[in-house]
Amino acid sequence: MQIDKPVTSSSPLPLARSPFRAWLYLVGLSCQRQARSRQMVWIALILLGLATAFIAVNTAAGRWGMDHWRSPQGYGLTYRSWWLAEWWSTRRIPGQMPSAGPDAILAAWQAALDRSGFFVFSDWIVFRTFLSFLLPIWSLSFATEAIGGEQESGNMVWLLSRPMSRPAIYLAKFVALLPWGLGLNLGGFGLLCLVGGWPGQLAFRLYWPAVLAGSLAFCSLFHLMGACFRRPAVVAIVYSFFLESVLGNMPGYMKRISIGFYTRCLMFESIEERGLSLPEKPSIFLPVDGTTAWLILAGLTILFLLVGMVVFSRVEYHEMN
Amino acid sequence: MPDLLDSANSSSGNRPLVVDAEPAPGQRSQAHGQPSVGLQAQSPPLLHFQHVSKWYGPVIGVNQVTLELRPGITGLVGANGAGKSTLLKLATGQLHPDIGTVRVLGQDAWSPAAKLHVGYCPDNDRFYEEMSGRKFIETMACLFGFSRAEARRRAGKCLEMVGMAGRAERRLRGYSKGMRQRIKLAQALVHDPKLLILDEPLAGIDPIGRQEFLILFQKLAAEDKCLVISSHELEQLEKLTDHVAVMARGRIAAVGTVSQIRDLLDDHPLSILIGSDRRSDLARALLSQPDVVGLDLTDGDSLIVRARNPRRFFQDFSHLVLEENIEVRHLETLDDSAHAVLGYLLGGNPNHGKK
Repeated sequence: MQIDKPVTSSSPLPLARSPFRAWLYLVGLSCQRQARSRQMVWIALILLGLATAFIAVNTAAGRWGMDHWRSPQGYGLTYRSWWLAEWWSTRRIPGQMPSAGPDAILAAWQAALDRSGFFVFSDWIVFRTFLSFLLPIWSLSFATEAIGGEQESGNMVWLLSRPMSRPAIYLAKFVALLPWGLGLNLGGFGLLCLVGGWPGQLAFRLYWPAVLAGSLAFCSLFHLMGACFRRPAVVAIVYSFFLESVLGNMPGYMKRISIGFYTRCLMFESIEERGLSLPEKPSIFLPVDGTTAWLILAGLTILFLLVGMVVFSRVEYHEMN
Repeated sequence: MPDLLDSANSSSGNRPLVVDAEPAPGQRSQAHGQPSVGLQAQSPPLLHFQHVSKWYGPVIGVNQVTLELRPGITGLVGANGAGKSTLLKLATGQLHPDIGTVRVLGQDAWSPAAKLHVGYCPDNDRFYEEMSGRKFIETMACLFGFSRAEARRRAGKCLEMVGMAGRAERRLRGYSKGMRQRIKLAQALVHDPKLLILDEPLAGIDPIGRQEFLILFQKLAAEDKCLVISSHELEQLEKLTDHVAVMARGRIAAVGTVSQIRDLLDDHPLSILIGSDRRSDLARALLSQPDVVGLDLTDGDSLIVRARNPRRFFQDFSHLVLEENIEVRHLETLDDSAHAVLGYLLGGNPNHGKK
């Protein structure tokens, strides 16, 4: 090893150093490193693939409407068959003009069947599948890795030994995960809706702001878990299954502790603004109005972020063996 | 039992054994009654531990450490679990002291302002494995706030210093242990810090590389930097510096030069428990040894010997038992802190003397 030149003379502070530039570089570096696929991300992508395939098959079979539903359930005629039977019954006498009353009923029945696709898609895909399950899982797949991934890989020391305040590091990590977290959630939701035909496309137009708000809150929450726990993905999965999927669908006020509840309230608000009726009875679901839901989701996002900054600034991270 | 720690001041916490002898030119001096190591003793300390304690739950990692470090090289030696890594992590702001303060150039070690002046070479072997060595150094420089051009320039210079300039384009996951150690050192130097905290920097380095590193460390110390080097290998540190701080059970057991610590051990006889079937013959033979200052017979077939100059005593003891054909069934030092110092001064085996 040649040491041709002496080491630079010691100076009180390094030259041409910018803390903001360092912070921006950390955002960019973290954004790049989030792209490295890890186990949870692969699981999220597999779930996306499976959900997309399921929806595509049902769309191709035209099963989003209620036309093929049977009454009595399971063995009776389909709703479409019932409608056709009623329609034929109004045209029994040749040349006789159909009366306005039965035709109006049939027209309304027809309209309801035509619109049913959107509500079936909303109920089964958006509320029960995406909101209760996919959205939390997709959010945590990136959000828990921002801090938790650095700790698990043993690379936290490189960040903590830099002259950057810990809240700034936490904030940079959050900003860096947003493109991926929001991209997967909104992009994944968009893909599911795209293959859902017209019901899905209408659902995307109506629901994407709510998905955005819910994604921000979930990412902020799971990012906080990454700072608090050594195995944040496990904690986040437990939260997702028990709070979001189970408690979030319970009757009464218990569901108000879940982020998915407020996201669903925003979705209901967007349906009402289009003059459509709610798929669930308000007396059972007990929703809050859209403004309240927006405020709560935004407040939770900021609250989790601030708490995370405080926690991260105090916690000592020991090497994980 | 005898203790190397100054018992008169034990109530004030850890008052380690500090040599009061006239320091050699440029060597350690003591200020304000606190252990102080490093050149230019009159300059303010670069690193200052003030009554620092750190617990891991019920286990104490660092116990009432007070230490000032100034420009120069300080070796930190101690057995596994002595608290060396904890002390270094406190200095680099990765851990909070539960009691006391740790300051770097007057700033709290936890603060970003302190980390401006600290270069840390950790003992863990984790990197951003997908990066090349050069990219990793540049990344560390950019995280410090340098522009990309400046980061590239500094990375190139540091890679030259550690002898990795020709091998920096390969990915880190393909590096040997020694190459990774060099990269760790390079990232610690990239921002030209005044304080370098090096945790086992020579681990995995071949003998030629070690010599190169020693030259580099001496050059850095000559530029008014403070280097704190933790190592298990006292022989290597002795080639580098004469200033050592010995840690045992979370405390600074001794601070000073190695020879001075050895001499002081002579003034604190070591108590050794020896078990043998021929206890009487052994006792008679030991009393004739010049380093033995006292001897007690215990219950059973053991005796306790108090001896000065442990290194010489054990050498003579080995010859003695062979000549007299005495079987030794048990050998144990009874003074823990002296044992820890002894273990490292006698060749780095903390269990030296224990059966």
